[in-house]
Amino acid sequence: MPEYEAVIGLETHIQLNTTTKIFCGCKADSWFDPPNTNICPVCTGLPGVLPVLNRAVVEKAVLLAAAMHAEIRPVSYFDRKNYFYPDLPKGYQISQFDQSIGKGGYLDLPIPAASAADKQAYTRRVSITKLHMEEDAGKTKNAGGRRFVDFNRCGVPLIEMVTGPDLRSADEAAQYLIRLRQLLRWLGVSEADMEKGHLRCDANVSIRLKGETGLNPKTEIKNVNSIDAVREAIEKEIARQIHETEAGRKIEAWTLEWDEDAGVLRKMRSKETEADYRYFREPDLLAVRLDDAWKQAILRDLPELPLERRARFVAQYGLPEYDADILTAERSLSDYYEAAVKAYGGDPKKVSNWLMNDVLRMLNDAGLKAEDLKLTPAHLAELLKLVDSGKINITTGKALLGKVQESGKSPAAIVEAEGLGLVSDDSAIRAVVEEVLAESPAEVASYKGGKLTLMGWFVGQVMRKMRGKADPNLARQILEELLQ
Amino acid sequence: MELCDLSALELRNLLRRKEVSAVEVLDAHLRRIDAVDGRPGTLDSAPLTDEDRRKVHALITRTDARARAQAEAVDRRLAAGEDPGPLAGIPVTVKDIFCVKGTPSTAASRILASFTAPYTATPVERMEAAGAVMIGKVNLDEFTYGSSNESSAFQPAPRNPWNPERVPGGSSGGSAASVAAGEAPLSLGTDTAGSIRQPAAFCGVVGMKPTYGRVSRYGLIAFASSLDCPGPLARSSADAALMLQAIAGPDPRDATSAAVPVPDYLAELEKGVKGMRIGLSPDYFQLTFPDPQTGEIRQQALPEEMRAAVLHAAEVLAGMGAEIIEDVPMPATRYGIPAYFVISRVEAASNLHRYDGVKYGYRTRRKPADLRDLYRKTRAEGFGPQPKLRILMGMYVSAAQYSEQYYNRALKVRAMIRNDFDRAFDPSGKYRLNALLTPTTPTTAFEMDAVYGDSVLMQYADQLTVPANHAGVPGISLPGGIAADGLPVGIQLLGPDFSEAELLRIGRAFEVGTAGEAWRQVKPLVLRER
Repeated sequence: MPEYEAVIGLETHIQLNTTTKIFCGCKADSWFDPPNTNICPVCTGLPGVLPVLNRAVVEKAVLLAAAMHAEIRPVSYFDRKNYFYPDLPKGYQISQFDQSIGKGGYLDLPIPAASAADKQAYTRRVSITKLHMEEDAGKTKNAGGRRFVDFNRCGVPLIEMVTGPDLRSADEAAQYLIRLRQLLRWLGVSEADMEKGHLRCDANVSIRLKGETGLNPKTEIKNVNSIDAVREAIEKEIARQIHETEAGRKIEAWTLEWDEDAGVLRKMRSKETEADYRYFREPDLLAVRLDDAWKQAILRDLPELPLERRARFVAQYGLPEYDADILTAERSLSDYYEAAVKAYGGDPKKVSNWLMNDVLRMLNDAGLKAEDLKLTPAHLAELLKLVDSGKINITTGKALLGKVQESGKSPAAIVEAEGLGLVSDDSAIRAVVEEVLAESPAEVASYKGGKLTLMGWFVGQVMRKMRGKADPNLARQILEELLQ
Repeated sequence: MELCDLSALELRNLLRRKEVSAVEVLDAHLRRIDAVDGRPGTLDSAPLTDEDRRKVHALITRTDARARAQAEAVDRRLAAGEDPGPLAGIPVTVKDIFCVKGTPSTAASRILASFTAPYTATPVERMEAAGAVMIGKVNLDEFTYGSSNESSAFQPAPRNPWNPERVPGGSSGGSAASVAAGEAPLSLGTDTAGSIRQPAAFCGVVGMKPTYGRVSRYGLIAFASSLDCPGPLARSSADAALMLQAIAGPDPRDATSAAVPVPDYLAELEKGVKGMRIGLSPDYFQLTFPDPQTGEIRQQALPEEMRAAVLHAAEVLAGMGAEIIEDVPMPATRYGIPAYFVISRVEAASNLHRYDGVKYGYRTRRKPADLRDLYRKTRAEGFGPQPKLRILMGMYVSAAQYSEQYYNRALKVRAMIRNDFDRAFDPSGKYRLNALLTPTTPTTAFEMDAVYGDSVLMQYADQLTVPANHAGVPGISLPGGIAADGLPVGIQLLGPDFSEAELLRIGRAFEVGTAGEAWRQVKPLVLRER
């Protein structure tokens, strides 16, 4: 069998997390609202109403466009996309067509070894061919032989972002969505929850012989609501296309629907001709003019991007890629890490270990973000220094994490108040050592007879008597001295 | 002289001096409606009777109870010594293309006949906040698509008070007829290609299309969104100024409304025309018509009577100190209608998409086979011929394969028309005009049924008014005389952006300068022998 490669492009719709809808004052999020309760004359397209653009939508679009390395047009336009559907109350969708806010752009997508065919990590550059603002439509559903329409979602602000046919496997497509979701949350422009439809994805899939450069007829997969489903649906479609091609049949430009429950693709319709949406400029809105002052004000909020920060963590702090990846999965965690490293001043890898082993578990258990912790980066740094200086041992240090988080008090204050510090007073430890030796004549004899491994047992006895607060190194030194 | 023959300003003064009550003013106007308006327009109406042919039929919906409540509220405020607002107690009619909360807002179409608006359009809201008393919603061409009012789904259509065998013009024909017949001193209309100015000219009243963006479009059921302008119809420039004052200004609900301060129009009114530069253009003294056989565009001279009225106005204004600048070239004028055909139809077809039988308004009573069939049946039954024609043409010229040669080309023509005005009004240019003086219409009001049915010829009735819509500049039509057929002749003044105060001032000066002329004393036919 000849070797095939997949050619995949993803069309994403990103729901922005603005307070209000794109063209009216209704709140943007209707997740908990009964149908048709979060609507007004404007978003339901009553006769005579007019749209007024929510500036926050432009600001979030500009942030995303900048993060995708897209050119940001200083003047962009809204257009009408005309078509009939019951969930589209005006009979046209206000969208952007030829002069959208973003032009071009790309994402350098790191593909981890685990997702690579030859188990070698690499980077895939994914081009962006479309990045524009638009309004969402409502929803329809069939029940009891009737068709119902819910307009709550009408006018929810969306970014439509489309990639070029640059992805080469289902795994790459999944990686793209993982990185996009990370970026959207990082920028604070979307909750990017696929299950809630904040991030929707259609996949265009075709195959070709390896080495070919042309594009073959593609199918479009719709209704995929999770990253796993995207991966699975694309895998199945690639396999189907290879099977069809091998059997000598042509691939037709179908639209396919992913059936999540059955795990199969179903044909929705054939695509004979492209629909003509008769786009023209939306006369009810003025051009979006992004003057320098506004643009700069928006871009002041553009943070270092996750993939850049990830690379920097490796270079600057000498972290393994694995650590850097986890620590930059989410923006506030990476901010937290960096603040803790600065406050600590010691080995950045040690901070990483504490964060990844203990603090992350704390976050996951409580469902918190790093920025929500009472255990501040300064607290963590202070705690590490207490361990380093021998004021407390590691076990106490780990127990302290929870205590700081609970009380919001500083680690030093808790150590002080609860007497958790190690005893490094020579005479106090010496007294206990003498006590232990006096109580254990048999063990002393064995030790002196050459059973040096008993040292551990002696240290244990001292620690037990001092409830773990003795400085173990000092205890060992005194024991060695007195057992000579 | 009855109360309903007084101007809005005169009524305002009588009310403020408590010489009349708002309820008395209202009752006078309701009596006038009872006397001259005849039966209101309805769907599937009975054939016209001889009686119908003598009436005005301006109204679709009378809002007597609402009006009475508003008038009583004004009287209470007057009695309490409160300021009841600049339009307090003044009856107004509203073109039924504006949404007014709790009233049927039909756009004169079957498809919206059952639609009751849940909100009020900004200009209406502002008039009511100023104390105006809305006495009813007046008829129009279906969705404003016409220049005669004959296309209304609500028949009988309005008739011209000067001669009920003639059309009142359109699409604000009900507005113009109601004002001319003394049913209300003020009416709110809309102008997309001349829909305020042309009926104002036909009915012998003042009609102003303000600068695009001067008056909010929020609540105006859209025809061509980039051209639609709400504006006043009145019996004098001063009344038009009073009304414009109330409705003009920025609106947070209309992104295309202009953030330009509103001047005090009444304060500017009496300043005269001394030193103003008023232009005449040869391009407005010739008419353009397509040959019905070949489609070729032919030029012909403006009828002499129309031309004479404009030249007479120029003389009057010159006599009052204005400087008349002749031969101002406006070469793109002749392309106004063809470009308008394209732009307005594209926008109209899109604006009509929402009437699909799903959410509100008319839905077919026949059982649809599927969703497409629901749309098809609903729209086939709900829309009259004008919306259908406009949908067909709009869909055609905006199709991907044609939009470059039609729509984008029309937009270029539109820019050329704008350039003509920019050149004429450029304060440091050759002409430096304060205003351009033109005829409003090619002819006086035509006979009912004479043009209706020829949609192209009907459209050409707007050829002298449509350039201002393309350019976005303000225009006003003033009564300029009476022709030999006994019908009013309109003259038009066009000015630079936001020059409404100057246009009203010129209008006022012209009214003062012609106050003694015999034609000023002639009343509309339906009001004679009263």
